[in-house]
Amino acid sequence: MNQVWRDRAAVVPATLVIAVLFGGAMAGAVRTSVVPLDGAPSLDVWRALFDDPAFLDSLRFTAQITALSTVLSVLLALAAALALRRSSTLLRTLLALPVPVPHLLVAVTAVLWLAPGGLAERVLGGLPFDLVGDRHGLGVVLVYVYKETPFLALLLLAAMGDELAGREEAAAVHGVRPLQRLRWVVWPAVRRPLVTGALIVAAFVLGAFEVPLLVGPAYPGTVAEYAQQATKGDLIAGEGTAAAALLVTAAVAAVLALVAVRVARGGRR
Amino acid sequence: MTVPRSGRAWGVAVAVVFAAPGCLLVARALADVWRAPAILPQRWGTRGLDVALSGRALDALATSTAVAVTTTALALLLAWPAARVLGERRLRRPGLVLAVLALPLLVPPYATGQGLTEWFVRLGLVDTAAGLVLAHLVVVLPYVVAALTPGFGPRLHALEEMAATAGLPPRLVWRTVTLPAVAPALGAAAFLGFLVSWSQYGSSLAVGGGRPLLPLLLVPFAGSDPQVAAALGLLFVLPAVLVLALATRAARSPL
Repeated sequence: MNQVWRDRAAVVPATLVIAVLFGGAMAGAVRTSVVPLDGAPSLDVWRALFDDPAFLDSLRFTAQITALSTVLSVLLALAAALALRRSSTLLRTLLALPVPVPHLLVAVTAVLWLAPGGLAERVLGGLPFDLVGDRHGLGVVLVYVYKETPFLALLLLAAMGDELAGREEAAAVHGVRPLQRLRWVVWPAVRRPLVTGALIVAAFVLGAFEVPLLVGPAYPGTVAEYAQQATKGDLIAGEGTAAAALLVTAAVAAVLALVAVRVARGGRR
Repeated sequence: MTVPRSGRAWGVAVAVVFAAPGCLLVARALADVWRAPAILPQRWGTRGLDVALSGRALDALATSTAVAVTTTALALLLAWPAARVLGERRLRRPGLVLAVLALPLLVPPYATGQGLTEWFVRLGLVDTAAGLVLAHLVVVLPYVVAALTPGFGPRLHALEEMAATAGLPPRLVWRTVTLPAVAPALGAAAFLGFLVSWSQYGSSLAVGGGRPLLPLLLVPFAGSDPQVAAALGLLFVLPAVLVLALATRAARSPL
């Protein structure tokens, strides 16, 4: 066996496992959504799904918290990375602390702090607005921004290495103004990690499940919550409805990924 | 060297924002009575910990640990050869492999789990540890490959060849050159893999709702009994803290 084939063979186990399990999962979801337990394949589940106002509400709600969480995390992470780029390792370590903490735990802590009667209310004597259970999902957005900002900031700090500092200095020596340096020196260096990171965050929030379950409103829920409700509500058609709803988020994520790849590639031209 | 004052202010701000919630979690777990509007608990106690360390909670803890360890070990075995080839850039067109590996990260894990259930029902894997491991593996493996890949590269390859040329037998090359060089990436990959499996909620619910893992057990308590939720939360974050400490030590080990 020559080297080229040996190299190809080395990636087979991992790729095959993913292809079988993930491909199987997607095929399974499609099957569940078009073949009901009691009989012949049909698109009834899909038709009913897009006629259900509750699903459309959940789709709108999911899109809203995804957009808000992603944009806010990206802006805050950019600001934090620019502010902390010359700071000590200790500060970066502190910044890294929330990254390994599970989302679920941050959500539980948010409930303890921010729910009615929680500690924040006791200390401040009342919160100006509700965060936990808020109809627009402010609490959900807060949890995701809290979790994802440090993650994105660390990605950006990694991209803003010493080499970038050198190039900036060179630009400054040649009289390039700070804002221009940001646009023409810093931005090209951080564009790709930022777009990739933003995509990861957006895909994550699209699938949001346990966080809105804890800190989100009772209605509307995210698409994942809607899917879970469907499986609880209707034992016959519920699984099909859930699978179809989840496939919609999967499709949205795939489209986002294609857009992100294009945006990230744009930087190389 | 003294830290500039603005740096110190930043440090304090970051520490408060990220450490205060954790302190509250500890206080909440150890407060048997903490009624509003009191700022401090009326009575401290271990009721929360007692519940979190008994019966179903202990089962869930054991299952969560077993599933996360097994999934991570499997993922590392599968990822190693792929990471080596990808890290040494030996594939002329790695695009397809990378795309396949990235797919599970884009799709909500609950969707993947829901789709797997369709087959797991037939295979008798629903609510089994094996089913949970397979469902987690889809999500864990891409992260593990991504974390392990930077551990390999042309420099390590050159070192290995040097060692082999110097007459070291392959096993010794592996133990004295390869493993120490890859250790930091290996630690990071194991850490990440364990955490991703440990925190899985959606896919666990879809394929193993009847055999609850820790996150599934925790959620209902957050609304009904915050003390137990906080105690379970401490258990939930403990391995993350431990593994982080271990991974940091592994990362410090010299080449």
